[in-house]
Amino acid sequence: MVEFRHITKRFPGVLALDDINIELKPGEVHVLIGENGAGKSTLMKVLSGAYKQDEGELLIDGKVVEKNSPIISSSLGIGMIYQELNLIPELSIMKNIFLGNEKKKGIFDDKKYMYQKSKEYLSMLHLDIDPNTLVKNLGVGTQQMVEIAKAISKNSKVLVLDEPTSSLTDSEIKELFSIIRMLKEKGVGMFYISHRLEELYEVGDRVTIMRDGTKVGTYDLNEIKMDEMIEKIAGRKIENLYPRNRIKHGDCVLEVKNLTGKGFENISLKVYSGEIAGLSGLVGAGRTELARAIFGIDNYTSGEIFVNGVKINKNSTGEAVKAGIGLLPEDRKIQGLALKKNIRENMVITVLSSLGKKGVANLKKEKEVCQKYVDELEIATPTIEKLAGFLSGGTQQKVVIAKWLMANLKLFIFDEPTRGIDVGAKSEIYRLMDELVAKGAAVLMISSDLPEVLGMSDRIYIMSQGKMTGCLNHDEADQNLVLTYAYNQTEEAV
Amino acid sequence: MKKDSKRSLRELIRLLPNSTYIFVVLFIAFVAFIPNFGSATNISSLIGQAAILMILSSAMSVAIITGGIDLSVGGIVSLVGVVMAQLVGHGMNDVMSILLGLAFGCLFGLVNGIVVVKLKVAPFIATFGMQGVAYGLANTLSDSRALYMPDEGVPVIKALQTNLLEWMFPSGNILTISVQVLITIVTLMLLILFFKKTVFGTYIYALGGNREAAKLSNIRTDKWNIMVYVITGLLASVAALLMLLRINSAQPTSGDGLEFQAVVAAVLGGNYLAGGRGSIPGAILGALVVYTVRNGLSLAGVNANMIMVVLGIVLVLGMVMNEVAVRGLSFGDRRKK
Repeated sequence: MVEFRHITKRFPGVLALDDINIELKPGEVHVLIGENGAGKSTLMKVLSGAYKQDEGELLIDGKVVEKNSPIISSSLGIGMIYQELNLIPELSIMKNIFLGNEKKKGIFDDKKYMYQKSKEYLSMLHLDIDPNTLVKNLGVGTQQMVEIAKAISKNSKVLVLDEPTSSLTDSEIKELFSIIRMLKEKGVGMFYISHRLEELYEVGDRVTIMRDGTKVGTYDLNEIKMDEMIEKIAGRKIENLYPRNRIKHGDCVLEVKNLTGKGFENISLKVYSGEIAGLSGLVGAGRTELARAIFGIDNYTSGEIFVNGVKINKNSTGEAVKAGIGLLPEDRKIQGLALKKNIRENMVITVLSSLGKKGVANLKKEKEVCQKYVDELEIATPTIEKLAGFLSGGTQQKVVIAKWLMANLKLFIFDEPTRGIDVGAKSEIYRLMDELVAKGAAVLMISSDLPEVLGMSDRIYIMSQGKMTGCLNHDEADQNLVLTYAYNQTEEAV
Repeated sequence: MKKDSKRSLRELIRLLPNSTYIFVVLFIAFVAFIPNFGSATNISSLIGQAAILMILSSAMSVAIITGGIDLSVGGIVSLVGVVMAQLVGHGMNDVMSILLGLAFGCLFGLVNGIVVVKLKVAPFIATFGMQGVAYGLANTLSDSRALYMPDEGVPVIKALQTNLLEWMFPSGNILTISVQVLITIVTLMLLILFFKKTVFGTYIYALGGNREAAKLSNIRTDKWNIMVYVITGLLASVAALLMLLRINSAQPTSGDGLEFQAVVAAVLGGNYLAGGRGSIPGAILGALVVYTVRNGLSLAGVNANMIMVVLGIVLVLGMVMNEVAVRGLSFGDRRKK
């Protein structure tokens, strides 16, 4: 039904898809799996027409799709169900199902017809709700069903389900699976993207494993065991990308005791000076939420945070910075940098008041300090007055690092420090992190990049579904073990 | 269906825009405490005054639901009034003058729409600029003077100015329910009908609620978004006609400040400036609130400048109310989504 032939897609500095060949059969649930950034979503965006491949061809129903767009792919019977829902909250279920596809009588909506049809689609999905209910009043699970109803109403022959279960409860997942089976019987082919390995066996027929934009292989799910799959997902050798001089760690800088908040519960961890502690886990495991709570952005409901043995009483970023914590956020373009400001303005923001005098900025001093850091960190830029938005990902990250270095911190929290950064810049950032801890700072590094976690960390904490599922020393950790904890495949966690 | 009707009264009350409560409370309080406020003469003149703002706030509501805004409506009221009066002054038949004036307002809205959608100028800036254009043109075309309607040769305008009650009960009536109020009611009913029964209303919410989803659903978002500004232009022109009928002249300053009041009314009616939520009936009630405040306070002897201060405060309170309605009271909670 759908065939990808030699699909290649490049983004600036990254080969996102490298010669991918996959075929979807009618009535097949084809699972796509791989680490974050392996290229699954990019591939699906090629199918939906959101991206255009640089090389290779896409076939739907045996015909080459010359020109693609979301509208064209939908008319060819491709239905996308995205992780973020695409519904209009203030409209009813009925209006959402028929959005852009309304049945009319003259100029007026044929509400009777649409109501009747919506009811049919909903009952097909075992949903007993009035189609006039507003979508904003539905739970996430039901909203997902409405998306599926919408796809059915367009007679989609191929459905793409991107992490459909990530926000569903167990009973909703069961319901979803029975619907998937029903659709299968009707010959609908499905691409199914998920991080939850155990559920794949329940619904999937075949699995394609992807890594770094390449296809590792396509396997029959009856013939591949879970540990084999995990090995193939991770499966690369760690080169000497990670320049670590592991030193004996000093005093405890950060201690988190039984912290509970939105997205994580009962988390305890310690980070020592001179140490990089990795925080691993899958997307949605609660790592970012934990970091935000430690940094005082979000509230936590119970538990305690100590910095250098002193308890932080007030949950605010101001307190966190005062205590010496800096957060280098996951999305540096939104949270870490002002893209329309230049390097200097970005860097000095944390120390502006100490550089100036009585509230008046001291431009000369600012320039001196910035130039010093630009030289020290080897930030590749002709001038410190260049706008941050025009820098490459790696250079941007260095600017963010410089910004926090100036503030003289004790603990750096890196959230996905090398996402979207090419290998060259990556190794420089690793070198910087190593230097940081060598000077006595402590680093908590959140990363979904397993080799990075293994290569850089002294200790690795692993979270799964909001809970801490494991803590490994760097010498006892390996990829399979970390993934096992991350997928929560140990007996203690059910 | 039975279950539905049982629920419906409670649902209905829950769905009422918050301007309803404000209106009811204010109205009762003013009737009780401000002498003459509750008199039939005052109420009928209040409705007459509010009619124009009801239309403008409905127009504003349409723009706001898409996540935009139309600050040129006041300017259009001035400009279209002047255009109609000039056409009549040059001897054109009054029906033609009115129709051409309405068409001119649509054209003005079309320009707004194109600037917003095709040239990608933020609606706030685009329509703010067009407001200046409209006031400037109105002053130029009228030489900054009031243009009075002639006493003869405008039969339709004269007919539209009659007092319906007088016509029905000829003997010495002091109350007025003018044809203008009738025009207002018909316009608003048509708008609401259009909104509820055709795809227009659905697409307006889709534009403001999740434009990406609307695009993915094959909706021609640009076309509909331009259409929104044409409609606000048309509605503002209807308001211009009402203004012309009411003061029997066109004044280049007649629309001054109306856009501000329209925003106040729309926001009071639960229209959320970020788009995606709000309602036309809410905006209509919001207009009633604005005029109840104006009328009541001026009867109570508050001076006109102070009334503007009060309306400004009411706008801010209305925004806070909407914010609370959407998120609940949550001070200092800065979650990502």
